[in-house]
Amino acid sequence: MRDDKKQGKRSEQAPDQDPAVKYVDPLNPKQQSRRDFLEGTGTAVVAGAGISALGFPNAQAQSSTSGSRTAINVTVNGTGHSVDVDDRWTLAELLRDELDLTGTKIGCNRGECGACTVLMNGEPVYSCSQLAVWADGANIQTVEGLAQNGELTPVQQAFVVNNGPQCGFCTPGQLMTATALLNRNPSPSAEEVKDAMVGNLCRCSNYNAIVEAVVMAGEEGGVA
Amino acid sequence: MSEFTREGLEPLATLGNDTPRIDAIERVTGQAKYTRDWKLPGMLYARVLRSPHPHARIVSIDTSAAEALPGVRSVITYENAQVVWGAGSVNGGRQYNDPTKDATIHRRYIFNNPVRFVGDSIAAVAATDRHIAEEALTLIAVEYEQLPFVLEPEQALEEGAPQVYAEGNLCPDFRGEFAPMISNIGDVEAGFAEADQIFEERYETGFIHNAQMEPRCSLAHWQGDKLVLYTPSQGISNCRHDTARDLGLQDHQVQIISKYMGGGFGNKNQNQDADLIAATLSRRAGVPVMLEYSRREDWLGVHGRWPTVQYYRVGVKDDGEVTAMEMRAYSGMGPYRKNSGGISGMDAYGCPNRYREIHPVYTNRTTSGNFRAPSEPHGHYGVENMMDEVAYQIGMDPVEFTLMNMRRPTEQQQFTNYSLEEVIRNGAERFNWQARRRVTPGSDEGPIKRGAGFSFMMFRAGVGTSSAIVRVNANEEYTLYVGVTDIGPGAKTTMGMIAAEALEVPLSQVEVVWGDTDRCPYSVGESGSRTTIMTGIAVVEAAEDLKRQIADRGMPTGSDVLIASATPTPTTDGMTRQCFGAHFVEVEVDTRIGATRILKYTTVHESGRIINPSTARDQIRGATIQGIGQALHEDLLYDPQSGQPLTPGYYRARHLTHKDIPDIDVHFIEVDDGYGPFGAKTAGESGIILAPAAVANAVANAIGKRMTSLPITRDKILGAMA
Repeated sequence: MRDDKKQGKRSEQAPDQDPAVKYVDPLNPKQQSRRDFLEGTGTAVVAGAGISALGFPNAQAQSSTSGSRTAINVTVNGTGHSVDVDDRWTLAELLRDELDLTGTKIGCNRGECGACTVLMNGEPVYSCSQLAVWADGANIQTVEGLAQNGELTPVQQAFVVNNGPQCGFCTPGQLMTATALLNRNPSPSAEEVKDAMVGNLCRCSNYNAIVEAVVMAGEEGGVA
Repeated sequence: MSEFTREGLEPLATLGNDTPRIDAIERVTGQAKYTRDWKLPGMLYARVLRSPHPHARIVSIDTSAAEALPGVRSVITYENAQVVWGAGSVNGGRQYNDPTKDATIHRRYIFNNPVRFVGDSIAAVAATDRHIAEEALTLIAVEYEQLPFVLEPEQALEEGAPQVYAEGNLCPDFRGEFAPMISNIGDVEAGFAEADQIFEERYETGFIHNAQMEPRCSLAHWQGDKLVLYTPSQGISNCRHDTARDLGLQDHQVQIISKYMGGGFGNKNQNQDADLIAATLSRRAGVPVMLEYSRREDWLGVHGRWPTVQYYRVGVKDDGEVTAMEMRAYSGMGPYRKNSGGISGMDAYGCPNRYREIHPVYTNRTTSGNFRAPSEPHGHYGVENMMDEVAYQIGMDPVEFTLMNMRRPTEQQQFTNYSLEEVIRNGAERFNWQARRRVTPGSDEGPIKRGAGFSFMMFRAGVGTSSAIVRVNANEEYTLYVGVTDIGPGAKTTMGMIAAEALEVPLSQVEVVWGDTDRCPYSVGESGSRTTIMTGIAVVEAAEDLKRQIADRGMPTGSDVLIASATPTPTTDGMTRQCFGAHFVEVEVDTRIGATRILKYTTVHESGRIINPSTARDQIRGATIQGIGQALHEDLLYDPQSGQPLTPGYYRARHLTHKDIPDIDVHFIEVDDGYGPFGAKTAGESGIILAPAAVANAVANAIGKRMTSLPITRDKILGAMA
């Protein structure tokens, strides 16, 4: 029934598409193949030596590194893990995909936004910019490791009462950097908070509320 | 610390009291589940191949090597998967309108040939692992025939310009005719004839990407002939309908699940190509498919605020009365028309003779579309800088000039309430406007100069249809079903608070079910500042119905429940309903290096009754800061020779960071006009409308030069001072 409707509605050539392209049902796996089309037009396939606009070289094959794995030991939120990691994985991928700790968010995957910030041996790092293999032997803390037995840390509590999260996507990263700051400076000023958290962007631009929350958490005694 | 005050109304039992979000714990513990956090058994990962050229015809594409890569399960291209993305390009930019989509001349497909901008999609791969999918993209061989391209909207309309479409570069209107958008009120030439002086200026504004923290993604899962889509959406009902329409399904065959989402700001209205690509791959592969866009793809492949060029002419009498206003403008839409290309702001003036002519123009830049208050911030920047300049040129205080010329209620057009004058006077006094502004712009001695600027607005707060369902069980536990998503402003909490107030129970007795089209009724979507008002009215009506049922029949017992639903069609009795605002800002400009620093920022808004003070406050603060970014930093620059985008990404677009942020003072004047839920209006878009205008006016007041191009980057200030 769906196919009937589709054919009736869209079988005509759309005016702004390449006229050589015939309509093909997008949901039908038995579609006309690309080879049929190429053979029909007699066009030779030439690899376009184009610029890679989006970071993906569009022509050359590269040798695959899939299958290359390394065994590492890593402690995450107090629990030790022995994991066989793909050498291509970032720490963020290890945490999110392998250990199911999806609280760590990937906002840019290239070290610009800070949404993926976790603590590595107590220091804030962008987990998108660390390879998983580099975490061998490290002690990692993620947002899931902040609250203990359901008890929020002061900075989490301050985020709750002062509307720290808007969309919430940068929140885990903001909380981890704030935690590292409060661990070494229990009562930071607003300026000190801004200095420490400059690497954590918030496009909701809830910066005022975040800084107020971290200052509030400090005044209430730092992170236990 | 920034100031926050409210005046005018006393809090009710629930509304008006600071209330932590009902999902705050999930948000601070990492438990909140966003689309990329879902995993389904057997799920594949998908990636999209995009054009590296601004304009090209694809001569050939060979996917055989990609298909042969172990782990690759499906490869689709413009050749074998032609799906119209109905919301991707619409005549006149008219959204949510099926007849217009049917009549649309220049359609956008999920994959396109020819490609018309750097980032246009041409193919996609689904594989067992995201790295394999990325590797497979590198194995797709594409031969392009490059075509001439055009980047600037004015150039695109010149004789002999490269043509994005054969019919020319002026976008078709909703009738499919190639004509500019014209609004003509009164007799503008007669108005200019009355004027003592006429002023003219050209303003231009840049492309601003929404840049929400969560890049676009979509997880598609077919259950027989039913499609389940986990996707970040600013309107699950609209997303469902659009997706069903594009795939030739009935609405009930599509389920949209959008629980938590990492911001949108207009980036995630309607459905997106990602939804259709993931659905198509999943259908072919027979397993769930998660499509993830990279940050760069999200920046270039989706859309952002349209760049504009605005030519103004204003006629004014010596006493300051404006007799005529004219704007001829160009909006760069990229190669697909996702939205109107509108430029608002002139309507805030009462001048009886106004002419506006906007040309939405196709270019080979990335696509333009919705960004928080789609037509307003760039328009208010242009109009209010024009008028600010006129005021100083004729020796008037811009605030007095505004009070003389701004739109006011008339017998023909009444307002449900009008507080614009109160808002402006309140702001001027709080900010100490007279002390902070320079009567003679640029008059500070030395290279470091201070000045102050102001802007004002009225913005739609109209009522409309949405739906809600409320249920109560024998334990007096209430469940509210609303088709909202929690994009960031806190709709879930706001709807729960309105229900609690209307039901006269504490918020803790109300559970809110949201973000799932199979469980929730229609809601208007988190766009156009509509959810609080429209879905809020439906919540009140459903709650009133439930209270009547309880009064008639008593509380349910045993396993019984009582249920009420409402889909009201409210009106404002022929009046216009607006929210009002004014921003005042003081800046300091170091003219030696062109750097602008904000010293004080005061906002005053009348947004009706404030439902949840802290979330309303942060809508204003956050939107204002986004607007400051638009004023001073953000743009998407292109290399004119190669047509390549140069500044996608947070770093290169110079997004504001913690260290750049001033304290934003927020003051609400609260009014209950008798419309909207308990008198609530809107706050979501207001802040961003005013910030670019106010900041630019302040810079002009400081340095004595009118800055006619956004963003006001250091080089532009240095150029103006040279």
